[in-house]
Amino acid sequence: MIPDFTAAVGAPRVAAIAHPTSRPLGNPGDADGQRAVLEATLRVLEQAKRPGSVVRLPFTWPESAKDVRRQRHGESPPIGKLIKRKPWLYLKLVSGDIPTKR
Amino acid sequence: MTSQHDTLARFDSLQFLDGATKRVIKAWIEREERRPIPWSQLEKPLSECRIALISSAAVALRKGQSFDEAGKWENPWWGDPSFRVIPRSACTGDVRLCHLHIDRSFGESDLDCVLPLARLEELAEAGVVGEAAPSHYSFMGYLLDPEEFLRTSVPAIIRRLKEEAVDAVVLVPV
Repeated sequence: MIPDFTAAVGAPRVAAIAHPTSRPLGNPGDADGQRAVLEATLRVLEQAKRPGSVVRLPFTWPESAKDVRRQRHGESPPIGKLIKRKPWLYLKLVSGDIPTKR
Repeated sequence: MTSQHDTLARFDSLQFLDGATKRVIKAWIEREERRPIPWSQLEKPLSECRIALISSAAVALRKGQSFDEAGKWENPWWGDPSFRVIPRSACTGDVRLCHLHIDRSFGESDLDCVLPLARLEELAEAGVVGEAAPSHYSFMGYLLDPEEFLRTSVPAIIRRLKEEAVDAVVLVPV
């Protein structure tokens, strides 16, 4: 749900949309909006002509990014809680120095 | 990459993230090395294609096996590398979401926010696509070490996609 990231990891075709995380297709119950997003995404299969093509979909989100960030429900993810307890681990996360042993 | 980024420059991909997450993702993007990008030409009109969806929301059937949420709480650097098959007939009431880094309330009140099975059926009925594949897939996003996922789950998903003669896949990151 972060088009820059999807493009950076080499997806063959990217349908880039300025929608918030957790609801890429749109809001619950908005069937018309979701259908329009899915159709526009599928059309990228026809539009993209070369590897790594990025097509920006013509949708805007009705709320400001600031309002969206304020609305998050649910508890912090495990990594967020860990870093709150041990703030120095944040730099490991940023640098991609991930402990691989379970 | 230049022309790709020219297109993307029209909006900030990271705008909805909090400051700490934004810094992490930005660093990850900057560290990604350019690599050969796979490509398969669409060989028939979209209106004749069989389409499958793959969501990173960790969608699991309530009657089936869940994802290992406890394991991620125990070791936040780890993530369950498995995947689930979601039949095309699945509805919101049939599933739960196990991704611990998203706001699950959206997808659990309407599955189509993260895995648009109903919308895909409607587009098939309208003739935009040929048909929805019998099976769709989900895995747990935020795999900081994706090695096992890439080694085991991805080939297994590809095998199933081929068995079901899927023409194109829509990846739905959340």
